[in-house]
Formats: sequence, C-alpha cells, structure tokens
Amino acid sequence: MSKLLRRALKISVWPAILMIAAKLLGIVIVSVVYDLQFFLENNIEGIYSVQLYYTDSATTLFVNSASNLLMLIILGVPTLYFIIKTSIYQSSLENPRTVVKITRLNILNWITKKDTTFLQIFIWSSFLTISSAIVIIHTLQGSSYQWTGIFAGVLALLTIWGTIRTFELETDNIYPRDNRYY
Amino acid sequence: MNTNKEKVKKIFSQILEPFALGLLALLFIIPSITVLNLSPITKQLQKLNILGVTTENSISISLVDGKHNIFTSELLNNIDGKYEYSANISKRESDSYSKPILKIVNKNNENKTLIFYGHTASNTKSNIYIKTTDSSLKLQDDKGFTYQQEIELQPNQELVVFLSVENFSNIQFTESFSMSITEKEEL
Repeated sequence: MSKLLRRALKISVWPAILMIAAKLLGIVIVSVVYDLQFFLENNIEGIYSVQLYYTDSATTLFVNSASNLLMLIILGVPTLYFIIKTSIYQSSLENPRTVVKITRLNILNWITKKDTTFLQIFIWSSFLTISSAIVIIHTLQGSSYQWTGIFAGVLALLTIWGTIRTFELETDNIYPRDNRYY
Repeated sequence: MNTNKEKVKKIFSQILEPFALGLLALLFIIPSITVLNLSPITKQLQKLNILGVTTENSISISLVDGKHNIFTSELLNNIDGKYEYSANISKRESDSYSKPILKIVNKNNENKTLIFYGHTASNTKSNIYIKTTDSSLKLQDDKGFTYQQEIELQPNQELVVFLSVENFSNIQFTESFSMSITEKEEL
C-alpha cells in the first residue's frame, strides 16, 4: 500500500468521526437545552433503518439548522486553521514582515515547524465541502434556515479558495515561478 | 530469503491497495449518508385531519402523521366525541414495526382515562400493541383475540401513542386496522 494512501486513510478518520459526532451532538444539545421531545423509529426507507422524528415542523427546522451549523463550525474551524497556518508559514519564508507580525501576535509556534500538509488540508476541505453541500441541499428542501445555507456556501467557497491557494504555494516550492524569484 | 520476503510484502501490498481505496471512499460516503439520515423528519401537525384537532371535552387528540412504509393511509375522525383512528398496515417481513400515531393532550384539570379498542379486519397472526413511553398495551394477539385497553392521563399531560405490530412470519397482503378511542365516563 502506498504511503500516500496510508496517510490519506489516517487523516480521513478524524474529520469523518467529527462530522457524524457534530451532527449528533447538535441534535442532542438542542433537544436537551430546549427540552424537546424526539423519537427514534425504525423505518425501512433508505440505507439506515433508524429515523429521527419531531412532532412539529418548526422544532424540526430549528434542530436541523442548529445541528447543521454545529457540524459546519466543528469542521470549519480546523480546516481554516490549517489553511491560515500553512499560508502564514509560506509567507514567513518569503516576507520578514510576516515574521514580525507573527511575533507580535505571539503565534511563533505556527511557523517553527511545518506539520500541516497539503493532503491534510485537501481532505479536511473535502469533508467541509461535502457538509456544506448537505446543508445547502437541506436549505433548498426547506428543512434548514436560509442563512445556514448561505453560511455553508460562503464557507465552502472560502475553503476551496484556500485549498487552491495552498496548492499553488506547494507547487511554487517545487517549480518556482521565474517572474517571482528571478 | 530477504528478496522473497520483500516479494511477498509487495504482492500483499498490491492486493491490499484496492481495499484501502475502497475504505477511503467509504470514509467519505458513510459520514455523508449518516448525516443525511440523522436529519430529523418533519412531522407536521398542520397536516392533521381537521376533525381531530380539538375536542369539546378538552382532550385533544391529533395525528402525528409522517411517512412510513408499513403504516399508511392514516385517518382520524371525531364523531360525537368518539374518535376513530384507521390505517393500513402494509405487507411486511417478519419483524416488529412501530410508528408514533397520535398526540394526546389532556387540557383538563383532572385525570382522564381513555379507552382504546382496535383490531384488524382480518387476522394475520400479528400482535398489535399501542405503546407509550412507559407502557405497552396489547390490542390484538396473534390468534385474533382483541383486548380493550385504558390509558390514564394526568392534568395537562401530553402523550404520544405509538402503534406497534409484531409478526413472526412474513405477511403478504395489506391489513386494514381501525381503533376507537373514547373517554371513560366518571361514575
């Protein structure tokens, strides 16, 4: 088995677990905090046989939106952190002013070692994009608030842009662009 | 010796690679499907049969509604204070199935008892129950015998009643189930 595949598998486990856990946690937290009654039922439709029910549509909409939002935040925060960290790391190699700014912000440990790879960013971004797509589908179906759909769309675009930028930075390391370095 | 070991290792890793790729794909697919499935379903109370929304005797019984493959064509009618619930129980494999069917609210300031009497039009050797969060009451057994059941409601209590069907062999045709719900008269 190739090293790349082994590493991809290793990296994918955490976002996969977090994606499910965040959605489930969102539902449980909202139900407990607002004392909402929900039911788990067996349903032979779809791949899974368990279906979650609420007795009124407003509650369902609220719970779905809140759990979707929590899922996006839990996946979005690490993804954006990886992208920003890598961008700062690359920028600090080229621009001394970045080092000064980082020192002022007391986040020097972000550039002391490069422990974030493009593969990691790509996988986390993929999970975030999938989650965003699910939230957008929910919004279009009317089972999630409109602003959660807009938030998901913006977050997905930002992440995709960040991933592409990280890819460019990585390729620049391998094939430096003549007009920038000479 | 070492070359042989390396060869075996190489062949083994080549065999393993497609499975690893599949596993990687599953790591993306499973969470996506799980999240889609975890999304709660809307059980709109607005879709209720209008006859079942409120009652004059201030016990409110309404359909929970919602889509279910086994319990279909649900109806709730109120005729002179007596509720009639009906549904079709579709053909199914041997198993136990349940669905929330009624939401009952006792708007009185005193305890009220409701009487449930339900049966299928034909006997298909199924046990039929009504269930609440803390009790399971048999309405019809697998021999076709029916049982009248009572549920007592506290003042302002809200209760969701489930209809449950259990059969030990496959059922090949749809059954028609009906249930009457009446308030027990105080003596």
